[in-house]
Formats: sequence, structure tokens, C-alpha cells
Amino acid sequence: MDSDHKFLMTRIAGGDRQALAALYRALERPVYKFIVSRLNDPHEANDILHEVFMDVWRSADRFEGRSKVQTWIFGIAYRKSIDVMRKRGRVDLTDDSFEQVDDSPDAVTCLAAGQEADHVRHCIGTLKDDHRSAITLAFYQDMTYAEIAEVAGVPEGTIKTRIFHAKKLLMRCLSGRVERGVA
Amino acid sequence: MSYSRDDIEALLPFHANGTLEGADRAAVEAALETDAELRADLAALQAIRQTMQAEEVASPGDFGLARLMRDVEAETPVTAPPAAANDNVVPVTRLRLWQTAAAVILAVGLGVNLLPGPGDAPETGRSIATDEAPTTEEGFSLASGGAPDFTIAFAPDAREAEIRALLLQAGVEITQGPSALGLYGLSLLDSVSDETARPILANSGIVDDLQ
Repeated sequence: MDSDHKFLMTRIAGGDRQALAALYRALERPVYKFIVSRLNDPHEANDILHEVFMDVWRSADRFEGRSKVQTWIFGIAYRKSIDVMRKRGRVDLTDDSFEQVDDSPDAVTCLAAGQEADHVRHCIGTLKDDHRSAITLAFYQDMTYAEIAEVAGVPEGTIKTRIFHAKKLLMRCLSGRVERGVA
Repeated sequence: MSYSRDDIEALLPFHANGTLEGADRAAVEAALETDAELRADLAALQAIRQTMQAEEVASPGDFGLARLMRDVEAETPVTAPPAAANDNVVPVTRLRLWQTAAAVILAVGLGVNLLPGPGDAPETGRSIATDEAPTTEEGFSLASGGAPDFTIAFAPDAREAEIRALLLQAGVEITQGPSALGLYGLSLLDSVSDETARPILANSGIVDDLQ
């Protein structure tokens, strides 16, 4: 798959618009899903997606092929989303402020209680952006922690830390909703 | 490397998404064998992942692609980049009137081939076929780099679709150009002769000059 993407990138760098269209078709949906999960605004996500692929078109010749094409593009999307959130005045990029939580309750029970998608969507939305991004890339895109680190431009250890806390907060949120009987 | 309980918990989501390898994977699997709470967490994470992946998002799709292509087109200079190298035709943007007029005057009046030869050094051109293929100033070069069979100037109001159809009909492909004066070099496709292609090109209403 990635070799196909790299081939397309080579063609795009040569000015091939059809290759850009092919790459767009291949990655538009996951990239959009990632952006909208961060911004929670479909219209803004639409614009950012457009800017991401315009950047791909303009800078394809700078792609060196050392990473996966998907990782490179998600990195562009990640940075553009941060720019939007900065403009909104709503970004927290540090890992210092995570709250300590108790060990997670039995989230399996919670997920078996039905309405999983609503619960998961709600609880993902309560996470800080860097936690939410890490979980989203891990579970929507099945990325490795090394790939997520590359997308976010941080050390792998930072991603493990973010995932560790995101998981705990997610589990606690899910269990809490079920215990409170949130429909 | 030894793994703490926190290390294992941090790696658990990556076990759930199937991306763990090597020592990380072995450590997590060993911990799972002896820790029921970890197994419950893993089951929950797998369920969360499944739920997230099943969620449908209405992406921009073809509308987004159309917008992208429109803006890429708007950003592309008049000497537009070519299509895929294995296409037998190349998209061509409409020529400016002055380019065509100058081309006709110079090419017909002076009998000069305005397209640079294979040995001319490219300045701003880009090649998508081989590094050795010749490029014209501001233009593109395709294929092997031999001298073109025809030099052509299209009418300024010729549309890309019309040019594409004509090239297909005549059995030629653009291999050089556009030059600074808007001339293109055409080469015959295999199994197409000069006698077949020339009258088709010459009689076309969108060709201003053919050499």
C-alpha cells in the first residue's frame, strides 16, 4: 500500500494531477476523520483537508520517502489542526496538566451496555487534544506509537505517556457514564 | 529491557490495534497471561477501537476532489504539467494569441524550428519520463527525447478536450513543448505513419500551424 502511495507521490512531484486525485481518493476519508475528530467542526475540517492536499501538491517534491506517505500527510493535518486551534485559543500541547486518575473500572461492562458509539464519541471528546489525537491515530488509523510520534513531532515516550493517560481517562469516563445510566 | 506495569498499560492499546512487535509484544503477551485485569482492559480497548472504526464520517468526497482540482488548476502556470507518463496524450492549456501569432510568423516566415533540440539545456522545464529527455523552456518533455515528427501551434481558442481528441485521432503524442512561443512537438505513436497523421492534423480547425 505504501509503495503505491510513494509511487503516486513521485508522480505528484512531477506535476501529475491524476496522481494527486488518486492519492486524495485513497486518503481523503481517514485524514478527514482525523481532522474532524480534532476540530469537531465538519466545515472547518473540510477546509483543512483541502489545505492539506494543496500542501501535498505544492511540496510533494520535498517528500523524502523516509516515512510512510500516510504518516507524512497526517503530520501536515496535525500541524494545520493545531494552527486552527491556536486561532481559537484552544490548544494545550503539554503533558504536564493531565489529571491523575484511579485505576480504571470495568469498562468492558460499560461497553456491553449498549450505545457504545455514543459513549465512546462523548468520552473521546472529553480528552485533551494531544490525548485525543494519540488515541484517534492508534484506533482509527492503527498507527504504531513510532508513527504517531512522527505525526505529532514528539518523542515516542511522549506518545506512550499520552496513550497511558488517555486510556485511563477514557475508561473512567466510559464506566462513569454507564454507572450513572447516561443514555 | 524490563517493563513496568505502566509500560505494559501504555503498550496495551498498540496490542489492541495489532501493531506491537518484538520485545514490546512479547512483554505485553507475557503480562496478559498472568493478569486478568489487563485482559479485561485489552478487551475494552479492542471494543473501543472497533466502535471507533465502525463510525461513519461523511467526508467531502468528490466535492472535495473537485475543489482540489479546481484550485490546483488555478495555481498551475499556463504551461501546465503533463498527465501520467503512460498516457498517450498530454493535457494542454490554451495558447495565448500572441504566442500563436509569433509562432506562425517565425516558423513559416523564417523556416526556423523554434523548438530546442535534444542537446539544448533546459532552463525551467520539468521532465517526467527520463532525466535525459529534452525539455523546452518553461515546458515539459516526455518519452525518449528524439526529434519530434511535427511541430504544431494550436488555435488560441482550442479547448483541451478538443486537442486531446485530435491527438488521439491522429495517433500522435506531445513529446516537447510548449516552447516559449507556444509550439508543441508531436511524435507519431507506433504503427502510425506520417501520411496518416499529417492530413488529420492539417485539416483540423484547431491547428493554426503545422510543420
